[in-house]
Amino acid sequence: MAMSKEEVEAAIIEKAKKAPKPQLYIKDFYKCAPDMKPRQIKNIANKLVQKGELMFWSSGSTTMYARPDRIKDEEGSEGVN
Amino acid sequence: MAKHDTPMLDELEKGPWPSFVTDLKRQAETHPECWDILGQLELSYEDKITHWKHGGIVGVFGYGGGIVGRYSDVPGRFPGVEHFHTIRVAQPSGMYYSTENLRALMDLWDKYGSGMTNMHGSTGDMILLGTRTENLEPLFWDLTHDLKQDLGGSGSNLRTPSCCLGESRCEWSCYDTQDICYALTMHYQDEIHRPAFPYKFKFKFSGCANDCVAAIARSDFAVIGTWKDDIQIDQAAVKEYVAGNYSVNGGSHKDGDWGPFSLKKEVIDLCPTQCMWMEGEELKIDNSECNRCMHCINVMPRALRPGKEKGATICMGAKAPILDGAQFATMIIPFIEVSKENEYENIIDVIERIWDWWMEVGKNRERVGETMQRVGLPTFLSIMEVEPIPQHIREPRSNPYVFWKEEEVPGGFERDIVAFRKRHAA
Ligand code: HEM
Ligand code: HEM
Ligand code: SF4
Ligand code: SF4
Repeated sequence: MAMSKEEVEAAIIEKAKKAPKPQLYIKDFYKCAPDMKPRQIKNIANKLVQKGELMFWSSGSTTMYARPDRIKDEEGSEGVN
Repeated sequence: MAKHDTPMLDELEKGPWPSFVTDLKRQAETHPECWDILGQLELSYEDKITHWKHGGIVGVFGYGGGIVGRYSDVPGRFPGVEHFHTIRVAQPSGMYYSTENLRALMDLWDKYGSGMTNMHGSTGDMILLGTRTENLEPLFWDLTHDLKQDLGGSGSNLRTPSCCLGESRCEWSCYDTQDICYALTMHYQDEIHRPAFPYKFKFKFSGCANDCVAAIARSDFAVIGTWKDDIQIDQAAVKEYVAGNYSVNGGSHKDGDWGPFSLKKEVIDLCPTQCMWMEGEELKIDNSECNRCMHCINVMPRALRPGKEKGATICMGAKAPILDGAQFATMIIPFIEVSKENEYENIIDVIERIWDWWMEVGKNRERVGETMQRVGLPTFLSIMEVEPIPQHIREPRSNPYVFWKEEEVPGGFERDIVAFRKRHAA
């Protein structure tokens, strides 16, 4: 049975909450919906950013995804290295 | 912001060449944060380590790219560069600007940023260097509403596509580079503005093998104009070149002391495939051997022109050295039609085939050229559904192993691995 969009969203959020490191690559979410094409999963992850459930985080060259509450703000803190 | 002592940087103002140190000092008169760039750079020279931090911020609201966050790790000493973000602004196709537009851009950047620019970055965009986080949204509003311009790509996005000026000025262009560049920029807005891939992906469009945007060296997907039929020869013009009546190379080398033009030395002997010769006063070309390198056409533009059946070659997988070394793109599709009529559907098909595969198989931070190397060219060609041809390889037999699939052999063959292993235990 293919997963519904809501189930995939929930699985992605769960993964972003529980992963050992706060920042995840898009590929880390592929396993959340093994039957879906990577580009569909990318679209769902980007929608979650629009909803505020995830945020983009740049390592400088690669763009990653994170739960906003797991990222310390770069500005005014020691920042994320 | 105070001036800093910068004895080491000051050395870079000596000598006859332009100096970024002089430029920064001049800029600091109206944008004092530029003193802090100089101060922090001098400190980096002393400490032999960078004092820039990066990471975090990627864009404005709704965008996941276009802004490259930069912060000082010594903001107490250099408050002017506490935040010093880079903004990528999509360049117009072929980099045509009106002076009015350039002035408006510079006014915008004087208002919200350091006034420093890099025209253009190696992806092709205009690079606006140095602003604070709180300026990003107002700048983006003015850029999009007043100037009707947009941010470019960064991070794991499709990067801002770029092209040579093509048919707008160049008689050699084998397709309308500006049109396809614009069309695909609009088609892939989501991929440009939000991360889409394991790592960056670049398209570049050159109208011919002169490759004025260096697509073959800088892009994962290089579309380079070429032709199928014969080079067009005007034998009367060939004679004029030989007689010295026409200026060689369009006159671009006329100031050098090259001596009289020698068709043999400068054209025939330099043809990389050795497919040209003279028969009496006629120049002959074996077009089946010509690899459309453009050399002879560059030297004698009035005598030789590209053929009439035009299209493009697609090369894939160029990259700069990050994980592995730098590499040029590999020729994958020798000829493809490039046509506005079908809205570039056939090219979009190729792009999406490579994306679907790379997103699945590519590792994090692996450029598609590295994934191609990892699986090998034969596997990659079969994924792209491209028939291998001799031109795909540089020389024969660097790999002696040829594996045939059953459907590739007339009559096929049957192979029962279980029965085989019964006779030959592994
Ligand atoms: C039409 C017949 C044959 C063809 C097309 C053929 C083809 C090949 C090829 C393509 C290789 C690989 C060469 C390389 O690594 O550069 C090879 C290796 C070899 N062939 Fe043949 N072969 C044939 C007949 C035979 C026969 C009859 C024998 C033995 C009686 C033989 C023994 C070997 C051996 C021992 C190697 C390995 C050489 C090495 O490891 O360096 N081949 N063959
Ligand atoms: C006392 C007799 C022999 C000794 C000491 C000997 C030794 C060796 C050695 C050390 C290798 C290299 C193995 C490796 O690269 O890992 C080798 C390879 C080979 N030997 Fe022998 N060998 C003997 C007899 C034979 C005979 C009688 C044949 C064939 C009828 C034969 C066919 C081969 C072949 C085809 C290879 C290449 C295997 C490959 O490339 O995969 N050898 N032998
Ligand atoms: S790449 Fe070729 S077509 Fe494009 S501007 Fe350069 S010479 Fe002209
Ligand atoms: S285009 Fe290049 S390969 Fe072809 S004939 Fe001219 S010099 Fe030779």
